[in-house]
Amino acid sequence: MKKTKKVLALLLAMVMVLALAACGGDNSGKTNDPAPSTSDPSTSDPAPSTSDPSTSDPAPSGEKMYIPVMAKGFQHQFWVAVKTGADAAAADLGVEIYFNGPASETEIDAQVNMVKSEMAKNPKALALAALSTDAVKEILEECASKNIPVIGFDSGVPDDTSGAVKATAATSNEAAAAIAAEKFGEHADLVAKMQAATSDAPVVIGCVSQDAVSASIVGRTTGFVDKMVEIAEQYQPGKVAVEGHTKWEKKVDAPAIIIQVAISATTEATAVQTAANALLNTNGLAAVFCSNEGAVTGFLAAVSDGEDLADGGKYGDLVVAGFDAGATQKNAVRQGWFYGSVTQDPYSIGYNAVAMAVKAANGEAVSDVDTGAKWYDASNIDNEDIALLVYD
Amino acid sequence: MEKLGQKKIDLQKLLAPAALVILYVFFSIFGNNFLTLDTFKNILESSYYIGFMAFGVTFIIITGGIDLSLGTVMMCSALLGAYVFKQLQWPLVAALLVTVGVGTLFGFLNGIFVAKLKLPPFIATLGTMMMSQGVGSILTNVQSQTWPTATEPVGGWFKKVFIRADILGVKGFPVGALWLAGFFIIAALILHKTKFGRYVFAIGSNEEAARLSGINVDNWKVAVYTLSGFFVGMSGIMYAAAYTTITPGTGNGQEMNGITGVVIGGTSMAGGSGTMAGTLIGVFIMAVLKNGLSACGLQAPWQTFFTGLVVIGAVLLDIYRTKAANKVKKS
Repeated sequence: MKKTKKVLALLLAMVMVLALAACGGDNSGKTNDPAPSTSDPSTSDPAPSTSDPSTSDPAPSGEKMYIPVMAKGFQHQFWVAVKTGADAAAADLGVEIYFNGPASETEIDAQVNMVKSEMAKNPKALALAALSTDAVKEILEECASKNIPVIGFDSGVPDDTSGAVKATAATSNEAAAAIAAEKFGEHADLVAKMQAATSDAPVVIGCVSQDAVSASIVGRTTGFVDKMVEIAEQYQPGKVAVEGHTKWEKKVDAPAIIIQVAISATTEATAVQTAANALLNTNGLAAVFCSNEGAVTGFLAAVSDGEDLADGGKYGDLVVAGFDAGATQKNAVRQGWFYGSVTQDPYSIGYNAVAMAVKAANGEAVSDVDTGAKWYDASNIDNEDIALLVYD
Repeated sequence: MEKLGQKKIDLQKLLAPAALVILYVFFSIFGNNFLTLDTFKNILESSYYIGFMAFGVTFIIITGGIDLSLGTVMMCSALLGAYVFKQLQWPLVAALLVTVGVGTLFGFLNGIFVAKLKLPPFIATLGTMMMSQGVGSILTNVQSQTWPTATEPVGGWFKKVFIRADILGVKGFPVGALWLAGFFIIAALILHKTKFGRYVFAIGSNEEAARLSGINVDNWKVAVYTLSGFFVGMSGIMYAAAYTTITPGTGNGQEMNGITGVVIGGTSMAGGSGTMAGTLIGVFIMAVLKNGLSACGLQAPWQTFFTGLVVIGAVLLDIYRTKAANKVKKS
């Protein structure tokens, strides 16, 4: 009995002491990597989606060019829009594509097997959004030796050393996220707050990201933070600090504007919500940028699906910008709860990937294409050009 | 001697609530804006779905079993509910029934595997964990699904009924807390006041003795897993109400939130003892810890680290508690 109590007391004390030490001490945790997201043992196969050969004109050679398009997954509606673009390019150019990807974006092995079996068909070109460059290294080398050009799309095939990757059709994440920071710089109320900020009552601008590992999220966070610092410096020169994560940290004495980077413990919506709650409790919070659909989902859960952001709501004065789309985010933008959001152009990514692959297969030179990003808000969300990009 | 032992056991029961209060006070002092009504609401909201999972699995753990499929079954049920609502245009009520039904069905399957086919619970539920994740992904074609938000014309009542509504003169009244409280009472009554509950304890204390005394252990076990499945289906609804967008291929790891809550609440992993009130407190401890650590401005790795520490602590406690309880029994 006595032992039980002792163990208990000891444990409780340990939690307290450690928490206290961590709370009060320097928060610069050395390991920046949150736990990797859960592995996915699911065995499901997404339905293979072949393009319909009957609708497009046959290629001049009689035999249609065959190009496999290997995506990172089917989970997000994003990929559906990519596929729509790829199908459109295939129809326009009269080639046959096979669009496929693993069941989830953690199944590296499944994607490798998929690409391997496509290689056996001796394609003229390959469009690839690799989950891991290392895992497809041998395949890339095989492509290089067989002279099969590889076109990267979306996040592409970073750090390829084989020379097989000829070009990439992708959004520049840095540039896309910087759009949100620029829009913050055009917001009159927010600018007034930044001008009036003092070291005693600093203005806080938050950035919610679901991890600090994935290249696209890191790129977006960097793009936003750098641009935001640049803009804030115009109003408070030398008094802009970046806090919250060692990767982006920029220390300044007595800052008047603080850019607070909130990284979630895991990529689960529940963990993002917790991170968002903590951010919302920060004194002086004036604006928040969420760097992808997952961050938006968690953030919205923390603000009653966005209702708290409405005029007169609990966070009625908070200026919020999102990234990507999805039904809940679109709703928040349409209602005017969000200042606006940045969307990539998945249709253009898919279209360019196929178009570039065809070019490369025909021996023409290809170069990287920035497929761009667009800002949408309540005023233009239902316009035709935007509606095509913002998936449900 | 006997009386003294009894008293100490009672003291032990107070430890979990005491820890909850101490943690709350601790974070109120050291956390950033922790002691506010909003934070309290956040803590409540982040414990709804974990609470339902934990209520269900409490029954299973008391019988000496385990359910690793909680998290993925929860996601699968929420996913399929959203699927029939959004893609097949079923009415929302039907979608809710599907959600609870999917959970119950997987619970029933677990029960059959464990009780009738004699698979170890760990293996059986590991299997259903993967199966449920697969089923969710297959049927939705690996597309994320969304439940209606409060402003939607069709099914806009979903959020108001299950998570928050402007009622009783309060803006954003945490309706979910009423559901949690209601089902807590139901679960506690079933566990502590019915024949079903007594058999749960009997099976957990000594399965063979229960069998010999004429209890149809296998059938009751199927019932226990099915009941737990129902609660997991309910947690699917609560998760959907809080997070709206359900992504296929997720849910792994959520089961640990539920199980940890149960264990912290004093239910023995060896089976045969535990209380529903303890589980509720355990769930709140987890929620307070999660929100409190991030209110302290701790970075992500620290939060994960402390949660791990609490799991180890809880299991250690369980071991010593069982030892202490055995000592009392002997004396």
